[in-house]
Amino acid sequence: MELQVYGYKCRKCGQLHYPFRMVCKKCKANEPHGFDPVPLPKKGKLLTYTDLSTLPADFNVAQLTLGIVELENGIRVTGQVRIPKPKTGMAVRINIETVRSSEFGKNLGMVFTAA
Amino acid sequence: MRNVYVVGVGITSFSRLEFPISEIAAYPAMMALQDAGNPKIDHLYVSNMGGGRVNGQTALASAVVDTLSLTPIGAETIENGPASGSSAIKTGFMAVASGLCDTVMVAGAERMREVNNLEATDFVATLTHPLAEYIYGVTLPSLAGMFTRLYMEKYGVTSRHLAMVAVKNHANAMLNPFAHLHQPITIEGILDSPEALTNNPIVADPLRFFDMCPVSDGGACVILACEEVARKVKRPLVRLAGVGQATDTHCVHERENPTDLLAVRGAAAQAMKMAGIKPSDVSVAELHDAFTILEIAESEEVGFFKKGEGHLALERGETALGGKIPINPSGGLKGKGHPVGATGIGQAHEIVTQLRGEAKKRQVKNAKIGLTTNFGGFGNNVVSLVFKRED
Amino acid sequence: MAVELEKILRPVDAPLPPFPPKFMKVASGEDMVVRQVSREEIPDLLPHVEPLIHVERDYYDIVAVRVYAELLGYYRHRVQDEYVLIAQINGELAAIVNGRSLNKDVGVSYHTLALRRGLRVGAHAFAAKMEYHMDILGHKEVLIVAESPIGFRRWMIEYHLEKRFNVAHELGGVPSWALTKPLFDAARDTLVVGRRPVPEALLKKAQAAILPPSNPPKPPADLLGATRSMNDPTASALLLSRQRLAKLGEPEGKV
Repeated sequence: MELQVYGYKCRKCGQLHYPFRMVCKKCKANEPHGFDPVPLPKKGKLLTYTDLSTLPADFNVAQLTLGIVELENGIRVTGQVRIPKPKTGMAVRINIETVRSSEFGKNLGMVFTAA
Repeated sequence: MRNVYVVGVGITSFSRLEFPISEIAAYPAMMALQDAGNPKIDHLYVSNMGGGRVNGQTALASAVVDTLSLTPIGAETIENGPASGSSAIKTGFMAVASGLCDTVMVAGAERMREVNNLEATDFVATLTHPLAEYIYGVTLPSLAGMFTRLYMEKYGVTSRHLAMVAVKNHANAMLNPFAHLHQPITIEGILDSPEALTNNPIVADPLRFFDMCPVSDGGACVILACEEVARKVKRPLVRLAGVGQATDTHCVHERENPTDLLAVRGAAAQAMKMAGIKPSDVSVAELHDAFTILEIAESEEVGFFKKGEGHLALERGETALGGKIPINPSGGLKGKGHPVGATGIGQAHEIVTQLRGEAKKRQVKNAKIGLTTNFGGFGNNVVSLVFKRED
Repeated sequence: MAVELEKILRPVDAPLPPFPPKFMKVASGEDMVVRQVSREEIPDLLPHVEPLIHVERDYYDIVAVRVYAELLGYYRHRVQDEYVLIAQINGELAAIVNGRSLNKDVGVSYHTLALRRGLRVGAHAFAAKMEYHMDILGHKEVLIVAESPIGFRRWMIEYHLEKRFNVAHELGGVPSWALTKPLFDAARDTLVVGRRPVPEALLKKAQAAILPPSNPPKPPADLLGATRSMNDPTASALLLSRQRLAKLGEPEGKV
């Protein structure tokens, strides 16, 4: 099964959110379970990025590139960039991979590669 | 609502302080008590961000109130990320303005150097969104790096402008005995020489080492009081005239225009409206320059300069000591240091010192109105304060 | 008899090729000269190291006391094949680094002592020391340990050192780390800087006199000596703090 990251669509007004929130930021609908999970698109463009050298201690790499991507549907997400020489505005593909791991567990998240 | 005055201030050096965190909060409190002539304190508010996580000390206020032998007065700890200090001042303001208390003490402390830099960075990074930011390795420098890239592309800010902020604030810090970095730097040394890339390595591209504030320990304290008490204290009269606070999305990527700092705009506007002033009335400002880019961006958002023109004003020297609107005469977070929980109170300490005319070598001439802006998170929770000299 | 005994005690030094001096611009915009000092210049260094023995912060005390011993050991011929490099800014002593040659393939790094903070002086000086081992002495690897977290972060992480935990380092017998030639070459572009030759006037100024550091690391003004002494049944913190304050004079402002 292909892994997905989900956005959350308001059942009342259709506004899509990422990450999850309890009350719709557009229509303020506050019914419990008021959002439907919707898979986020796997394509987008890179808005901005940075090569970071001050990583938390549990990353055992010296440097990591992080970026913000605007997906095809306008939703923006933060994730890791795996592109040797990224450029703002470039088209990227979103992959779901392990982004952080510790002795006892791992976190899946978005990794951006060149489209 | 009653008027609220600052009757006493105290501060420690911002550097590395190898003492229990309760003592780091209590020392400036002692200084502030002396400054104010030992008034009777009704309530104590202690601001701190990482005591529980970094120092293994939760419920800090209970420890501080007893260290100061102030029991049985009420005391509580206030945590609002790196804006904890200003939030505590806001809480103290409400207590006095409402008439609940006549005199309150607001003390802040942070001891981040008990752990190494990697752990300190990780501790501050825990204020980011746990699932949409933190898991990727997002730290505050990375958010600032991404923000800077957009700012550079949109407004033509360059690494040279950032370096100018660093050089200015290091120079100001040289004049501040409490500052963490007593180290002059030059554009040549950090940008132009063949060794510059090693002197000033890239940390979160395009931000470099000298674009980041140091990790500091430190404490600061202000004592707030109603007019009746303040008139009896034989110190220059400084009123806390405006308090503003605004918030923005938790995730930086959710902001409609990622180069806007709407919370800064909102908080500063509220504080100035309450004080009945315009940005052009401000004679001295302490802005939250945890990263050099933030001083430029905030100087625009609070209304000193048009959006996208802060770096031009910097070029013209308008934000330097002796300029039109001196920003961060204390050295700012960049030069003075950034003990997160105490930073907001440290800013207030500087503004009060300036307005009293006691800032010695770094004194801004005829300082009558001062503004602070204190960031909690990357622009998601901002508190702004306006102080006025009255008398 | 005394002369005979000294012959036994004194190691025979192998001739080490000299370190060609170099200079670089530091963040303050000043020029820093890195050069080797001869045994005769050691007495000029010792008075600037001694005060740091009493700086109980950032591991200055333990590093300074060991550097002092190593410098004295070099001066009085009690360490074999040792060398000492110093960094000077405007003639002022900014850093001391030292080490020794174990054999023709392996070097041992001793200490890096920065007398000026915040300019990455220590990083430059450490890089010069590694350059001396690799490029001048032709060592294949250098054994390193860190005594402070700052050192660990700089050397182990920036240079990605390899573990040599089977080798006990000469400093305290703790497990060693090693900088190998390939690791050094990988770091060369970003970490090893400096220009040669040093302009004559600059070098002359550096050689003329080793001036005392203008702003050396100082012991923390023990703000809270009194309250600290509560956790200190012998009250030595209080006594030390009083002695220090007497020595320093009252600091400016209400520090």
